[in-house]
Amino acid sequence: MKLVVAVLKPFKLDDVKEVLKNVGVQGMTLTEAQGFGRQRGHTEVYRGAEYEVDFVPKIRIEVVVDDAQVDEVVDAIVGSAATGKIGDGKVWVVPVETVVRVRTGERGTDAL
Amino acid sequence: MLAAASFIPYPHWLNSGDNTWQLVSATLVGLMSLPGIAVLYGGLVQRKWVVNTMLMAFAGFSLVLLVWVLWAYNMGFSSEQFSVFGAKGTGFFNNLIGRPWPILTHFGEQNQATSLAQTDVPFHFPNATLAYFQVVFAAITPLLFLGSILGRMKFRAWLVFVPLWITFVYAVNAKLLWGGGFFAMKGAVDYSGGYVIHLAAGVTGFTLAAIVGKRLTRDRLHAVPNNLMLVAVGAGILWLGWNGFNGGDPFYAGVDAASAVLNTNIATAAGLTTWMLMDMFFTKERKPTFLGAINGMICGLVGITPSAGWVDGYGAILVGLICSTVVWIAWNFLSKVRPFSQVDDALGVIYTHGFAGLTGGLLVGFLADPGMVQYIGVGKTPSFVVDGLFYGGGWHQEWEQFLAAVWIIVFTAIATTILAYITKWICRGLREKDDVLEIGDVAIHDEEVYPQETFAERVSAMSAADRGVE
Repeated sequence: MKLVVAVLKPFKLDDVKEVLKNVGVQGMTLTEAQGFGRQRGHTEVYRGAEYEVDFVPKIRIEVVVDDAQVDEVVDAIVGSAATGKIGDGKVWVVPVETVVRVRTGERGTDAL
Repeated sequence: MLAAASFIPYPHWLNSGDNTWQLVSATLVGLMSLPGIAVLYGGLVQRKWVVNTMLMAFAGFSLVLLVWVLWAYNMGFSSEQFSVFGAKGTGFFNNLIGRPWPILTHFGEQNQATSLAQTDVPFHFPNATLAYFQVVFAAITPLLFLGSILGRMKFRAWLVFVPLWITFVYAVNAKLLWGGGFFAMKGAVDYSGGYVIHLAAGVTGFTLAAIVGKRLTRDRLHAVPNNLMLVAVGAGILWLGWNGFNGGDPFYAGVDAASAVLNTNIATAAGLTTWMLMDMFFTKERKPTFLGAINGMICGLVGITPSAGWVDGYGAILVGLICSTVVWIAWNFLSKVRPFSQVDDALGVIYTHGFAGLTGGLLVGFLADPGMVQYIGVGKTPSFVVDGLFYGGGWHQEWEQFLAAVWIIVFTAIATTILAYITKWICRGLREKDDVLEIGDVAIHDEEVYPQETFAERVSAMSAADRGVE
C-alpha cells in the first residue's frame, strides 16, 4: 500500500475530488495548509504597515491506495490539478506498512 | 384613596423631548465604548491580545462610572468652585476645578440639572441625565488612549491609572472648557470634546506609550489584525453612535442638535472618502484599504467634534477633508520623524485622535458660521453663536482655540507623566513581564478569544447536576 500526499491549489479541490472518486478511491483526508515553493508570497498592508506573507494557502490531500492503483491515482491528481502556472503544487508517494479500519479491526488492503 | 389625577409624571421644568433625546444620546455614546471600541480595538490587535484589550475596555468603563458618581462629576460640572491655593474671582486657580463630591443622593439624581456652563438656558432634565450623559464621554476617553498602550501594559496598572487620570486630568480639562472654567470664560469652545476628549486622549496615549515602553519586537513585527469584520462592527457603531456624541451636546432636542447630527455625518463621509482616495493615488501600492478608510472615518468624526453645531454643511465637508488630509500626512510622514518614530503608539491614537482633535479644534476659529444658532436670544440677548475668521469674526476665536489647545497638550502630557510614575510606584511597574507578553491573553487572564472545546477538558470539580446521572 502507498500513501499519496498532494499539496495543491485550493480552488482545484472539486476537480481533484471528482477524478479520485471516478478512479475508485474510497476515501481521502483533507487539510488546509500554508506553504511556499517557487511561487512567491504576497504583501499585505494593514494601517499603512507592509507585511510580507511568504506562505500561500494550499490544500493537502492524503489518500492511501493499493500498490496497483498508485500510478492511476497520481496521474488523476496531477491531471486534474495542473494549471501550468507556477504554484500548482507537489504530489509524493510513501510506502505504508499497514492500515487498520478502526470500526472492524480489518487490516491491510481490506481496510482500504 | 388617591385619585390618579393627583399625580403628574414629572416636574414642570422637565421637557420629555429634551430628556428623552439626552438619554438616547448618552446611550448612543455609551455604545461607542461598549461594544464599539471594545470590538474595534479587539479586531485590530493580534489574536493573542483580544481578551486583554476587551477587558481593559470594559474594566476602564466601569471604573470611570464609579469614580464619576463618587467625586469626579462634580469636579467637572458642579456649580461649586473648588478654590485652589485660596484663589478668588475669575482667576485661573479659582476656575480650575469643582468641588469633589458624590451625586448619589436622591436630590443629586432627581433635581433639575445645573452646571456653571449653562446658566442662561435652564436644563430641561434632571441631574441624573446630565451626569450620565457626561460620564459616557469621560468613560470613552481612557478607552481611546487604551489603543496606544495595548499589548504590554500591566493590567493592574491600568486599573490604577484610569481613576487617577479621570480625577486629575479629565475632570480638570472638562471643567476648564465645559464646566464654566477658565478657558470657557475666556471664550474657547469645544462643542463635544475635540480637545477635552480626543486631543487629550492622543497626548495621554502617546505619553503613556513612551513611558510604558514598546511592545515586544516579535509582536511589532507581526502586528496584523485578527478580525476585520469586528473592526467593521466597531467602526459602524462608532460612526452612528457619534450622532449622540455631537447631537446631544446642545442639551436640547432642537434645531442645533439636528444640525450637529447632519454635520457630523457629512464630515465623516468626507473624511472617509478623502483618506481612501489618498491611499488610492498617493501610496506606493495605490490601493484602497478598508482600515485606511476607517482611519479617515475616525478623522472626520473627531475633526467635526469641536465644531459640529457651529459650522454649516460646507464647513463640515471642509472639516472632514482637512482633518483627514492632515492626519493622513502625519500618519505617513510625521510617523517617521522623532519623537513619533521612537514611541510605540500601538494603534496610532496620537494621529487619529490627537492630530484630528487639534486640527478640528483650530478649525472652529476659521469655519464657525455665526448664522448657525445654538441658543436663540430673546429680546436684547444675542443668540449664542461662534464667529469664525472666514465669516468676519476676526482672530479672537482662533487665538482662544490656540491657547486652549496649548493648555490641553502641555498640561495633559505633564500630568500623565506624573500619574504614570505614581502608578508605576504603586503597582511596582507598568509592564507585564516579557514571558507573559510572549503568551498574551492566556498568561494574564487564563482565557483566550477563540477557545476550542476539543482541546479543553474540565478538571475542576463539577456538581452532580453537571455530571448527569451516573
